[in-house]
Amino acid sequence: MNFFHNSNIFIWVEKLIAFINSIFFAVLLAALSFALIFSPPDYLQGDSVRIMYVHVPAAWISLASFTCIALLSILNFIFKIKNFTLVAKSIAPIGFVFTCIAIVTGSIWGQPTWGTFWAWDARITSMVLLGIFYFVFIATYKLISKEETANKVASIVAILGLINIPIIKYSVEWWSTLHQPASIKIAGSSTIHSSMLMPLLLMFFTLLLYCALIFLMKYKTEIIRIKKKNLYRKI
Amino acid sequence: MINSLIFMNGYGIFVWSSFAITFLICAIFYFKTRKTLKKYEKEFVEEIEALSAEKKKIVLENSKIASKVLTSNNKTI
Repeated sequence: MNFFHNSNIFIWVEKLIAFINSIFFAVLLAALSFALIFSPPDYLQGDSVRIMYVHVPAAWISLASFTCIALLSILNFIFKIKNFTLVAKSIAPIGFVFTCIAIVTGSIWGQPTWGTFWAWDARITSMVLLGIFYFVFIATYKLISKEETANKVASIVAILGLINIPIIKYSVEWWSTLHQPASIKIAGSSTIHSSMLMPLLLMFFTLLLYCALIFLMKYKTEIIRIKKKNLYRKI
Repeated sequence: MINSLIFMNGYGIFVWSSFAITFLICAIFYFKTRKTLKKYEKEFVEEIEALSAEKKKIVLENSKIASKVLTSNNKTI
């Protein structure tokens, strides 16, 4: 039995959708309780720091999604695996939505923290650029009807957009910006207290579950679309 | 307690609007994605149902996905 066969993947997709649906609201309720009630206010920013619990996970997801899309595009160029295109195509709208959420919530957070909703700061500008790359990637599939050409153009857009990812990450170190440097580091010690880190990770996990749910539904749609297109070839 | 949760020392408007916008966008995106999926499922089932009995049998024998979609769609009806 080949696990990676579309029909086997399809069965697993259905099971995973049902599983995530069954646990999602309990996890969301816990995450919201910690983010809005149990976590402490910041000594400097007060309660406005709670915006972090949606802003930071949204930004992480948008960056991770684009990195995934770009890596899948590179692998697709080399190995020509059709499933990679389907996965990248299914991830893109999620990344775009979370980029918009990160920009909007960041802008709302900017007003009480910096005194302005918007500044052409290096971090914000590079995030807007990421949103444009997502938009072009998605629009490619809508505007180019020939699937093979659309795949190639979208892959080039994703690979070009990959250059922007380290720029976003290090913009706060390379330039003098309004945006604060990262408080959470994968390598090295984080400067965030555990009473805030825990709700942040819980909210990140909740939004990841949501992304998985959307991704699986989009992936299922893509499989059905292909099956529908090839229906008459089977007869 | 309720007052401090709502007003958050003057930051309530910023915090609540951030959460509201995030979850509103997420909810719209979820329902739009689900609607598209259901639409494709329905169209796929309609195309299979429109086939002759013999052709339908061939499709269902050759495609696990087609039979799965057809079964789950019949369950929801």
